[in-house]
Amino acid sequence: MQSHIFVALSTYLATPPTHSLAHLNAIDIAVIAIYFGVVIFIGFYLKGKSNTSEEFFMAGREMTAWIAGLSFVSANLGSLELMGWAGSAYQYGILATHWYWIGAIPAMLFLGIIMMPFYYISKVNSVPGYLHLRYGDGARALSAVSFAFMTVLMSGINMYSMALVMKVVLGWNLNFSIWVSSITVALYVGLGGLRSAIYNEVLQFLLIWLGALLVPILGLIDAGGWTNLKAQIGTRLGSEYVHLWSTTGHFSQNPMGIHWTGLVFGLALVISCGYWTTDFLVVQRVLSANNLRSARMAPIIGAAFKMAVPFIVILPGLLALAVLPYHLVGETQAVATGQHSYNEVLPLMLVRYCGPGLLGLGVTALIAGFMSGMAGNVSAFSTVWTYDIYGAFLNKKATDQHYVAMGRWCTFIGVLISVGTAYLVQHAASIMDYVQGLFSFFIAPLFGTVILGMLWKRTTKAGGFWGLLAGTCTAVGLFLWVHFDPSALRYVALSADAKTLAEDMYRALWSWLVCVIVTVVVSYATKPKPLSELEGLVYGVVPLPVEHDDHWYQKPIAWAGVIAVLFVILNIIFW
Amino acid sequence: MREEISIWFFGGVLFLIYGVIICLEGLWELNYPLVNPPVLNDLHAPIWWGAMMGVAGLSYTVKFWPKKRRD
Repeated sequence: MQSHIFVALSTYLATPPTHSLAHLNAIDIAVIAIYFGVVIFIGFYLKGKSNTSEEFFMAGREMTAWIAGLSFVSANLGSLELMGWAGSAYQYGILATHWYWIGAIPAMLFLGIIMMPFYYISKVNSVPGYLHLRYGDGARALSAVSFAFMTVLMSGINMYSMALVMKVVLGWNLNFSIWVSSITVALYVGLGGLRSAIYNEVLQFLLIWLGALLVPILGLIDAGGWTNLKAQIGTRLGSEYVHLWSTTGHFSQNPMGIHWTGLVFGLALVISCGYWTTDFLVVQRVLSANNLRSARMAPIIGAAFKMAVPFIVILPGLLALAVLPYHLVGETQAVATGQHSYNEVLPLMLVRYCGPGLLGLGVTALIAGFMSGMAGNVSAFSTVWTYDIYGAFLNKKATDQHYVAMGRWCTFIGVLISVGTAYLVQHAASIMDYVQGLFSFFIAPLFGTVILGMLWKRTTKAGGFWGLLAGTCTAVGLFLWVHFDPSALRYVALSADAKTLAEDMYRALWSWLVCVIVTVVVSYATKPKPLSELEGLVYGVVPLPVEHDDHWYQKPIAWAGVIAVLFVILNIIFW
Repeated sequence: MREEISIWFFGGVLFLIYGVIICLEGLWELNYPLVNPPVLNDLHAPIWWGAMMGVAGLSYTVKFWPKKRRD
């Protein structure tokens, strides 16, 4: 029976598509099929180890620092992240690296060193769970509902992005890509819970590296080395495509239309800290660690790997600028003219350098990226729904078994909503831009609310709620202002030369500032919680547990220092 | 009874299988060259990349092979 299915699948996938760039042979199909077999096997194998809610939603809090750290990075490495940023590197040059370095590393180290102890020792199961302890039910409900809603929408957009690229490059049917990959994710997460998602994310992370690493290696040989690559890009497009910081003194001097203040304050201080420290999709992985030291080390290990990701994502985009014999265009123009779009740069480079077998491995890496992102989304969705919406407001007294069953059902329902979103986006592509904008509306103010709650005893329940609401409304208001009056860009992003990404940075910065100011003002005007209710939740109320490290290399702070030094050196090298 | 299978064992087995398949494909191409070879095909990437994956996979498979549980 299985051999019939395999033959049918091989025939279907190996049939030369009418307009695709490449097609896979039997070896490639075998590589992809083995991957699907292994991830489903892991789901069935771990089913017996996810019987209680602690096991299903938090992986029993048994993960080592390495597993939690790799899973932390992998859950973020979805298809939009892989293919989208490779496309951005083609479009904007090396400036896209900022989203991996200053837009991630400081925030990850901050999470590990400063914030993790509060999340971990308060034994919360989710970020909305922390808001519940610190601010009460209002902030929890607002955060949980917006997170659950946005998570499944983003998952659907990721799914559609992957299916679209597979269609263009390999000629795969959209429905086939969407249903096969989503059913697989639903199976292994629904069966094995967070433990299965994490195990597969680690495997997927390794596969992404193995499958994608050959492209930059062969590409650098093809281009004649890094120095020659820079020279070729400089001749074709200008030296601003190969400098990280030196062209960010003015909005009009770089292809991204961005200023260094937007990168440092908007991206690094607000958006990146907001995402990496409060988005439950990634924080859930760290909460599964087996002790406080592992929980603090996990983001630091993740930061080390995150710093290396531009080698397999950004570098292929830069190489494409020099070696591809044709020019890539934006998505709208690609649809109209039949040319290839920026978003297809990574699979196009795979096809350029990889023959049978290696091409299958590369495609497996792209599918693995998509699955890790989607599994992250649906496992976080089922946890937040079960703990922070269903268990908190709809059915408070159910048994543990009931909540586990609810989590399994939510996984399947989350996948179904994601599939629905993917089809919605297919028929109204502009939704994609709005949903991504919508996501940033919640992240920046939420970071303001969480960080003030953790570091300032005086923050009150009313301050947290009104600050969060005011910050979110500011983000929405600024977005609508520029949408209906584009000339407002000069006020929102401080320059008429600013482009979309710069606008996002400044909008996040202003909404965060409004959140912080309103929280502080309202907190001073309202009665604070007694200190006895803040134990384990706020800095300075009770001493944090002392970690007894025998050697310097066991201290998270030492490794955070090493990563920070490397981060500074890399930024100077590519200045 | 054996211990729980480590994630590193799963990774090792997968790398080993992939390494063997890709390396053999590369060796096959030495005798039966591709009609439409990719760029830099003369570097024979499938052979050395597959071999490296195979060795890494084999070492992880052996190192993390599930041991018999001590009762």
